[in-house]
Amino acid sequence: MVCIQGKAKIEGITERVSGMKKEQEQIGILLRQNESQQLEGFNWDGLNTAISNKLNQAENSKTSTIKFRSVFKVAAGVAAVAAVIFIAVMIKTDMLTTARFKNGQKAVGTFVLSQGSAKVKILDSNAQDSKDKSRSSWIIIRTTEPKVADNGQSRDDADFACLM
Amino acid sequence: MNDNSKANTGSIERLVKASQAGDRGSFDELVDLYQRRAMQVAVRMLGDAEEAAEAVQNGFVKAYLNISRLKEPGSFKTWLIRIIANTAISQRRAARGRAEKIKIAGDSHSKKVFSTEEKEAGKELKEAIRRAMLKLSKKQAQAIALIGVEELPAKEVAEIMNCSAEAVRWYVFKARQKLKVLLKEYLE
Repeated sequence: MVCIQGKAKIEGITERVSGMKKEQEQIGILLRQNESQQLEGFNWDGLNTAISNKLNQAENSKTSTIKFRSVFKVAAGVAAVAAVIFIAVMIKTDMLTTARFKNGQKAVGTFVLSQGSAKVKILDSNAQDSKDKSRSSWIIIRTTEPKVADNGQSRDDADFACLM
Repeated sequence: MNDNSKANTGSIERLVKASQAGDRGSFDELVDLYQRRAMQVAVRMLGDAEEAAEAVQNGFVKAYLNISRLKEPGSFKTWLIRIIANTAISQRRAARGRAEKIKIAGDSHSKKVFSTEEKEAGKELKEAIRRAMLKLSKKQAQAIALIGVEELPAKEVAEIMNCSAEAVRWYVFKARQKLKVLLKEYLE
């Protein structure tokens, strides 16, 4: 009796498993059927042309990007060279040198006014004012010497520097 | 065109290397060889030939732009199918978005009634499969689509999907379970 029941149980399971397998096969069949129907009479030449056109577009935009990158690189290079030349000219014309005190102390800061020229005397203002105990502050202005006949901006700057 | 013959493997590698060197003609030949397989994968994933065609076009463009990154020319087929499958997945997201909008809008035509002629032409089945595939997860849709294409072995599908063969079998199993319910009226 137990053997018969066991056999029936196994047969039941086997039937269920084969039923499941059949359903799964049917799903595969259904998907393949749809695939065949969709691709029946499909315009393969049209697809090929469409792919080719998209590839052409991709090629063109790739070429434009490469050209743009080249232009950008050249422009960046030119700007870098210009910056180097500018700095070199500034150093050569002595516009960036730092003023020094007689006693060897460095100036706190250097202010470049213009390309005019003038000689500036540096005053020692470390002495404290006796009245209100405040310490004098100082400013160093260094400009290049203007030409004698120069009545332009550089002369004005030099005059201003002298007043200061 | 037979793209799977061992005799062609050498020529395919040659075409891939030439494409990597910038020969557009060689890549066009690869398109000829693989477009049918690509369409099969995409149609299975998306259920619709028009959407599949768009995915295939975009997939081939991606492949063309990135072919120089392919280190093993011999694995071009796997690499390409992966690109096509991923492109189809992106389109699925867009299609899902559209389907959601229609649902929110309460479109009374969202479940279309097909005429006898349309049923015979397979439009009803196409629509049913398209909707059902949208309800699968990305991995399930990829797995069941790839397994069905010329009965690719699970190991090869695993390589395409970047996962284990066991994972592929699991995804296929879950996909079939869901499709069984969603497509029950079409199963005998």
